[in-house]
Amino acid sequence: MIHADHLSKTFVGVPGQPKRKVVAVESVSFKAEDGRITGLLGPNGAGKSTTLRMLATLIRPDSGKASIDGYSVTNDVLSVRQHLGFMPHNAGIYPRLTSRENIEYYARLCGMNKKTTKVRVDELIDMLDMGKFADRRSAGFSQGQKTKVALARALVHRPQTILLDEPTNGLDVMATRSLREIIRKLASDGHCIVFSSHIMQEVAALCDEIAIISSGNISMTGALDTLLENTGQQSLEDAFVVAIGGEL
Amino acid sequence: MVSVMLWKEIVDNLRDRQTVFYALLFGPVLLPLLIGGALVASLKQAAVSFDEPSPIAVSYSERAPNLMKFLHSNNMDVEPAPAEIEASVRRGDVPVVLEIPQDFATALRSGTPAPLIIHVNDGDKHSAKEARKLNTLLNAYAQTINALRMQHRGIDPSVFNSVNVTLQDVSSNGFRGQLLASILPFLLIVAMVMGGFYLAIDTTAGERERQSLEPLLSLPMSRYKLVLGKYLAVLTFVGLSSILTAISLFLVFRFLSPEAAGGVISFDGPTITRAWLLASPLVFFIAAVLMTVAASTQSTKEAQTYLGLLMVFPMAPFFILQFVNIKSVNLTMALPMLSQYQLLERVVLQDDISYIHIGLSIAGTLLSAVLLYLAAVKLYSREKIL
Repeated sequence: MIHADHLSKTFVGVPGQPKRKVVAVESVSFKAEDGRITGLLGPNGAGKSTTLRMLATLIRPDSGKASIDGYSVTNDVLSVRQHLGFMPHNAGIYPRLTSRENIEYYARLCGMNKKTTKVRVDELIDMLDMGKFADRRSAGFSQGQKTKVALARALVHRPQTILLDEPTNGLDVMATRSLREIIRKLASDGHCIVFSSHIMQEVAALCDEIAIISSGNISMTGALDTLLENTGQQSLEDAFVVAIGGEL
Repeated sequence: MVSVMLWKEIVDNLRDRQTVFYALLFGPVLLPLLIGGALVASLKQAAVSFDEPSPIAVSYSERAPNLMKFLHSNNMDVEPAPAEIEASVRRGDVPVVLEIPQDFATALRSGTPAPLIIHVNDGDKHSAKEARKLNTLLNAYAQTINALRMQHRGIDPSVFNSVNVTLQDVSSNGFRGQLLASILPFLLIVAMVMGGFYLAIDTTAGERERQSLEPLLSLPMSRYKLVLGKYLAVLTFVGLSSILTAISLFLVFRFLSPEAAGGVISFDGPTITRAWLLASPLVFFIAAVLMTVAASTQSTKEAQTYLGLLMVFPMAPFFILQFVNIKSVNLTMALPMLSQYQLLERVVLQDDISYIHIGLSIAGTLLSAVLLYLAAVKLYSREKIL
């Protein structure tokens, strides 16, 4: 369960202009329930990644507050991390380690002992259908394989809440479909899932709830039907354009 | 958690050929062999040994039978000279040729200066060295004859020794010893830096570049522990590299006789062990420097540039101490690297070392290491690290 309440974040300094201020997130508020898939939909540069990074305790919000399963992202950082699985938009796995070693490393860092680690890693390899490349070094993996390793790593400590930053980026059709299945299964198991994307079909096909984000603000939230109704449009794409104040 | 991290970083980096080459082969084995080996070889060549029998080519040896006996009793085996004397010396067939001119015996008998010619190729180190040795022996022979002649005429030979100069070197070493002594800290420190270089870059800037730092930082572990795990991994490689270097140096310098090294200098087992122990606080310091610098950069390329420049630092004391005579005051003994240079030199030269200096060196180095480590933790706590 996630509660985000008026989160904001401003960065100082961009390459070449060290003093320029960039408002990445102005005011973001939304809720994500357990057992549901919440999509954070927005164009590139809307503040999706910054929002997820604040929720994952990687950066501190300048103002506003947020909680994961009741733990504050600013005051109870370690508890939040324990309840949270975060997959950034790049897989970021270690190329010289095998898939199994990559996952095991995170399990052990989360404090799991050798025995439970082994059981859990086998379980994840099975669940994500990674048997064929489990013991191969990950340099040279396809994007789909890398994403699976990264996802397994994020799930290894059985977090209740899962944040996925553009997980379908660079995946082919079959890999995307298989990832969708996995996400649906995780939600039906009672996990709270937030995933960000700029692809309409992706969000429309998968999400129970949609939060449309643009220029660092949430412009509309609700189920797909609600969004269509509120904007009086037929498709999510049209609803999205209206929601962010654009002209059809 | 920290040990899990340490283990992963070690396994991960042992699979990287570049890291293994620089950390465990280049710094600890190749450099000592190249630098130490070249030094040992050149010293061996320059050193004149009167104890080992060596051949000497003499042309017309039958003209000076007594001189031949003298040479033989001084470990010189007289051999006939080749026909073309100058050409064969120039070609290096024989290092030097001693030529006895026809009037040698007559001159000697009549009491006039008897001529002797040494054919030498001064451009060749070996030839020049042999000529020096021969010249020294011939001078000794001349002095013996002089003394005999004077005694024969009833004069005390010491009348002619109006001045007796004794050169007493109070340093325990001389230039050659000094250079040799500073090579030990130099190679040890360079190997330490090389040892941790790629690991430090890989575990910080490299991790950021692979974009594996973001998920890692979102794990339920404190930044303090995270930096500790990475620091210990770098520390392991730096330490391993320094131990391997000490072993290689011990092996290389076994081929150096004490005379060739200038007498008092020593590179035996206990000396190298003592030197390594005195240098060991640097393992903590250098690992911390590498971590901190790597953590403050944005990419591996940037890290390589900065750490490459940093490689000058271990060399700086080496050159400074060659040109400037720094007195070992308490202040310089508290400075990391500079103090180890001075301490290690003294160990090799078998000089006395005060416990205050050892204490200051250890304390100063470890304190700097702690401060740098804290700086690294601070750098890892910045949001900019992502």
